[in-house]
Amino acid sequence: MSDLQPTPKFDVSTLRLPQNFGETLGVKKLITHIPVSKPGAERFFRAHPSVSMQFESLIYEDKSSRDVYVVLPALGDVLGRLAKPVVLYLAVDRRGNPFLIPVPLPGPNGSRNPWHESLAMAVEKSKTDWVRIAANMTAGVYDLFVASADLPPPEWPDMEMDAIVQTAFGGKIIDTIQHPVIQALQGKV
Amino acid sequence: MKAIDRFPKGIYLIDFEFHPVDHREGNPPRPVCLAVREYITGRVWRYWGDELQVMKEAPFPCGEGALTVAYFASAEMDCFIALGWELPLNLLDLYVEFRSRTNGQPTPYGGGLVGALKFYGFPTMESAQKDEMRLLVLSGGPWEAEDKKAIQDYCQSDVDAMRPLLRFLYSQIDWLRALHRGRYMKAVARMQSVGVPIDTDALRACIENWDVIKEKLIASIDSDFGVFEGQTFKASLWAAYLERNNIQWPRLDSGSLALDDETFRQQSKAFPQVAPIRELRSALSEMRLASLTVGCDGRNRCLLSPFASRTGRNQPSNSKFIFGPSVWMRSLIKPRPGFGVAYIDYAQQEFGIAAALSDDLAMQEAYRSGDPYLAFAKQAGAVPLHATKKTHASEREQFKACVLAVQYGMGAEALAQRIGQPVARARQLLELHRRTYPKFWRWSDATVDEAQLNGRLWTVFGWEIRPSHPFNPRSLRNFPMQANGAEMLRLACIYLTEAGIQVCAPVHDALMIESTLDVLDATVTEAQKLMAEASAAVLGGFELNSDVKIIRYPGRFMDERGELMWNKVMGLIEHANTKPLAECQG
Repeated sequence: MSDLQPTPKFDVSTLRLPQNFGETLGVKKLITHIPVSKPGAERFFRAHPSVSMQFESLIYEDKSSRDVYVVLPALGDVLGRLAKPVVLYLAVDRRGNPFLIPVPLPGPNGSRNPWHESLAMAVEKSKTDWVRIAANMTAGVYDLFVASADLPPPEWPDMEMDAIVQTAFGGKIIDTIQHPVIQALQGKV
Repeated sequence: MKAIDRFPKGIYLIDFEFHPVDHREGNPPRPVCLAVREYITGRVWRYWGDELQVMKEAPFPCGEGALTVAYFASAEMDCFIALGWELPLNLLDLYVEFRSRTNGQPTPYGGGLVGALKFYGFPTMESAQKDEMRLLVLSGGPWEAEDKKAIQDYCQSDVDAMRPLLRFLYSQIDWLRALHRGRYMKAVARMQSVGVPIDTDALRACIENWDVIKEKLIASIDSDFGVFEGQTFKASLWAAYLERNNIQWPRLDSGSLALDDETFRQQSKAFPQVAPIRELRSALSEMRLASLTVGCDGRNRCLLSPFASRTGRNQPSNSKFIFGPSVWMRSLIKPRPGFGVAYIDYAQQEFGIAAALSDDLAMQEAYRSGDPYLAFAKQAGAVPLHATKKTHASEREQFKACVLAVQYGMGAEALAQRIGQPVARARQLLELHRRTYPKFWRWSDATVDEAQLNGRLWTVFGWEIRPSHPFNPRSLRNFPMQANGAEMLRLACIYLTEAGIQVCAPVHDALMIESTLDVLDATVTEAQKLMAEASAAVLGGFELNSDVKIIRYPGRFMDERGELMWNKVMGLIEHANTKPLAECQG
């Protein structure tokens, strides 16, 4: 005799439990560090297309420590050419790590040097495509490489631009003439 | 809901005593007696073997509205099948429910009925007394009236003991999912009853010649390694071999090389060149050939030990089961005249499960491409979109190794060795995996968070683990893939066996089925369809593909990892022997 007893039609998928581990735990990656720099040659990146995720600012880069400071406009004259007017663009790499790309603004005559111009073009392109840049020393520009694969869209940090700037420059804002950086540049310390 | 409302036709706690037919392991069971106790009324029935043999069906309700309860129910279902009875519609296995509740936690008294009763503090028969009674049953009789009564009392003591256990667990049981697990125990019995067809002539030749060929086998295989002294595997020579070949090997806390079979198994995946030594050690370490349990009808049958591993996978005896670690022995599998067997395995099961459950669309797209390794390389921008397996073979191999490395939790150093590339390249590949599949990695990280913060993980059908300290993040991370893979294969076993397909055995992510040659191809198509349905049910609609290897009589099964060893053994037998075995060559 067959042991086969017809099992009533039963949809086992109704037994499915969610596999959404961690969802109720609210464990979130806290972004505590946002570098301000040009992306490295191997790093594909995307810049946020929204104007709200750009920030015009004066910055000063300490070449020895590679620290980047925001400079209050009122102190721009004190630092002279050392304070550069830039637009900071929010960007992320393929792992979703955020960073700010400083793109120098054109000078009073409306032009930029080829390095800056090619960087600005790369950032513009990165608003719609995954790109990476590499310095071409012979040509004096950044070469632009666009990913040909159909890559997933970028994942943006869940933060407002104010908070991003705050995180990127926490403790690195030159807001007084007494600031140690200005003091050092004036040879007072 | 009260028991009487849920199962108005009764809840029947049952236990059989049995021994294998002709006292030969590998043969189906011969029931000696049956005890039944109805849970609600407490009423008891006892039947002796000769009464059972004439019954056409179980002597208690087994249809809708009734529940059958047993401890390790596949054994009871084996007896049902041996008696030609229809299997019960609703089956609850208290062993499985006990395992599910304690999985990951220490069970100091073991997983048997005695262990479960002691775990919850219920009085129970001592194990020694139980062993004594088992031996009496296994003796096979004939028994005096006094012994018969003792056996029946013993049989009844198990159903008596199950009653408080069920009462204790009743309100905690997740009934729909528990009955689903019970449904699998019926499939297990069906598969155990079918068994795997074995070439008994070749098996006998191996056993008879084993002593003669052992030495030659060591000499033949060890010539490439130099790690044996006489018939002894030397750890120091193995260490020297690993150093010569620049292979990193796991070590114990003491600093010594880990030399257990599991380590060899894992390492063989990363370094296939060490596989022959694993095969040889495995063949020599136990008399595996003689341990294989083959019935009088030439079929390998053994307990599949369902739900025995932490992931809920089956864990049959390594030495009794033909699909144990000695892969060369699998060439003993040979269909009978007029029959064929098919080995159907899910294609890249772990990758597919990870893609579906993490809801990583890029990973799903890679799986659906049919070649996830090449698709991963394309998605990472490492090869052009028009690349094929032929045009970019070496890149594909590297990306394949990277996918497997992620699945095994391998680091950059081990991956570098595996692919023969600098560590920097391995790091780059692992980084590309993270970049290409960020959603998968977030889900994977959250899995570890869930286990550590909430203390448990679960599968789609409710198999749970409550990991105890110290946590092993690598195995926690891998749990959803392994344990849901187990769910998928369980469901496939259910679907296939209930469709009347002869399933010989489940093997990790594969099934071996058997059929007459005239309908073999159609049966394989049906089996693949049902396996796809099982994958979709587990993965919320995402279907996995399967690969199939068909063997028609007089062909034999061949696992490529064991082919070299099998051919060596056959060659040596032929050399040493009286009886030519040319037909056994793979």
